Amino acid sequence: MSGSIEVRGLSRTFHTTVRRPGVAGALRSLVNPERVAKHAVSDISFDVAAGELLALLGPNGAGKSTTIKMLTGILTPTSGEARVAGVVPYRERERNARNIGAVFGQRTQLWWDLPARESFAILRDIYEVPKAEHASRLREFDDLLDLSSFWDTRVRHLSLGQRVRCDLAAALLHDPPVVFLDEPTIGMDVVVKEQVREFLRHQVEERGRTVLLTTHDMTEVERLAERVVLINHGRLVLDGGLDEIRRRFGSTWQVRATLADAHFEVVPLPGIAVLSHDGPQVVFGPEGADAPTVHQALKAVIERYEVTGIAIDEADLEDVMRAAYVQAGVA
Amino acid sequence: MKAVRIAWRVTCLNFRAQLEYRAEFLLMIAIGAVWQVSVIVFATVLLTRFTGMGGWDSSEVLLIPATRMLAHGLFVLVLGRMHFVGRQIQEGRIDIYLVRPMPVHRQVQLAYFPTNAIGDLTVAAGLMAGALSRSGLDWSAGRIAYLVAAVVGGMLLEAALFTAVAAAALRFPAADYWSNWLEELLGTFGSYPLNVLPRAVSGFLTYGLPLAFVAYFPAAVLTGHGHDTGVPYWLAALSPLLGALAYLGSRLLWRWSLGHYAGVNG
Repeated sequence: MSGSIEVRGLSRTFHTTVRRPGVAGALRSLVNPERVAKHAVSDISFDVAAGELLALLGPNGAGKSTTIKMLTGILTPTSGEARVAGVVPYRERERNARNIGAVFGQRTQLWWDLPARESFAILRDIYEVPKAEHASRLREFDDLLDLSSFWDTRVRHLSLGQRVRCDLAAALLHDPPVVFLDEPTIGMDVVVKEQVREFLRHQVEERGRTVLLTTHDMTEVERLAERVVLINHGRLVLDGGLDEIRRRFGSTWQVRATLADAHFEVVPLPGIAVLSHDGPQVVFGPEGADAPTVHQALKAVIERYEVTGIAIDEADLEDVMRAAYVQAGVA
Repeated sequence: MKAVRIAWRVTCLNFRAQLEYRAEFLLMIAIGAVWQVSVIVFATVLLTRFTGMGGWDSSEVLLIPATRMLAHGLFVLVLGRMHFVGRQIQEGRIDIYLVRPMPVHRQVQLAYFPTNAIGDLTVAAGLMAGALSRSGLDWSAGRIAYLVAAVVGGMLLEAALFTAVAAAALRFPAADYWSNWLEELLGTFGSYPLNVLPRAVSGFLTYGLPLAFVAYFPAAVLTGHGHDTGVPYWLAALSPLLGALAYLGSRLLWRWSLGHYAGVNG
């Protein structure tokens, strides 16, 4: 079964009542409510190939969760089309549910009063997974997520990290080709985050699952995703590979050079600006649309000047995405 | 069969989970029983102070709260989780149910074991035993079958009312508060022969909010007062069937509302 996701012109509009300020305003709203349409998602289109991990990014309220809810069959779109592993999720909810796994970082799909292992057993029955297959998959997940040390504890007594690891296992026990992860590592400590990331990487690379991930953690994006879709105000503003996004928005490098002669005359090089000059300390940065890459700049500086020390500051993905957000009008 | 097996398994696990919190378990049973204290007081006053009410003698009147209580206890046990759908919406539980290959309604019912139903059913069984032992009726097989149908029909009618409120809550979560009012109303007026109430009130409780079909009309049919209820005899006699039909209708409404579910937080 192909695990691809196809989204075409997907939109979702909610109708809400305008809140007028003050008590008088509230009373006016009660008597004469003013209804407005809020376009949570507007005409977005993208594809996720089978076996690809796509990061769906955007600020709070951008429409990420609404998009995921439409693709998981929770919400029906106002217009547009979506197919997940060949199934229209909001028309065939139960069939779609068999093809997908979903983890919503802030809520659990486990039975609150039962030990996690009992929830896994119930899910095995619901998804009709053969017992041997279930046991073998559980062993594999235990190896990767270290579940057995706490899976006999009631879910209500688990820590956040333990609970989300159990949720990840629960979402994948029926071997779905497509997985939706809505901020799965929110609030986790760095050790557990890394364990979860390793698990996800394994699921994509070794098991060939298609993953659609939303997160605000750029380290996570950098470690897991090759492609990013950025949405804001419900509209798709950017769809590209991480390399491409770095090229477009990430040329914020700086080369810090210490010159052998503090009195040497410093002149700009093609595409390289002098950002500061203090005695022998000179900081170079990119200039114009044709600025060289950081490696080309390094080479040019070393060839042009006699330097005794040199260091590079390259923008990390957080900076790159910040630049992308600014240019896309998000920030 | 598979659905029944899973439902049974989850129910057993949920029940076992409740047993592990001993104090909480006992408290929940107690609250189920104490919640019905008004019915117990009503039954005691009825039997000790009055010879009858609205043309019914005390033993006949007692059949009304007994039928209603038993229907209510079964509703709480089998379908009662509709009462808290608003909370499940706010907590995002409905979203979780929607990504599982199982009907959402069934998952709502399997969310936890309703321990308080044990208290409800204990009081109801005691009340029914008392009502039957004091009854001077000839309990033929047909009459017993009608009583059973009346209890099941009453359960389904109560479930229909709460399911309709829950369906509304899927679109407007605040609608869930109406289920508190509904429960209050059922508890307050469900135990009386409604012919003692002003005509407007009994009319509302028949045609507006069809509380009369839960226990009053079936008890009237069983005790021979079926022609004095203010509605045609056949309509009173069909109460169990109307309960089943109302429940089917409420499930269709639930299904329609689920198709328009918007959740919370977008």
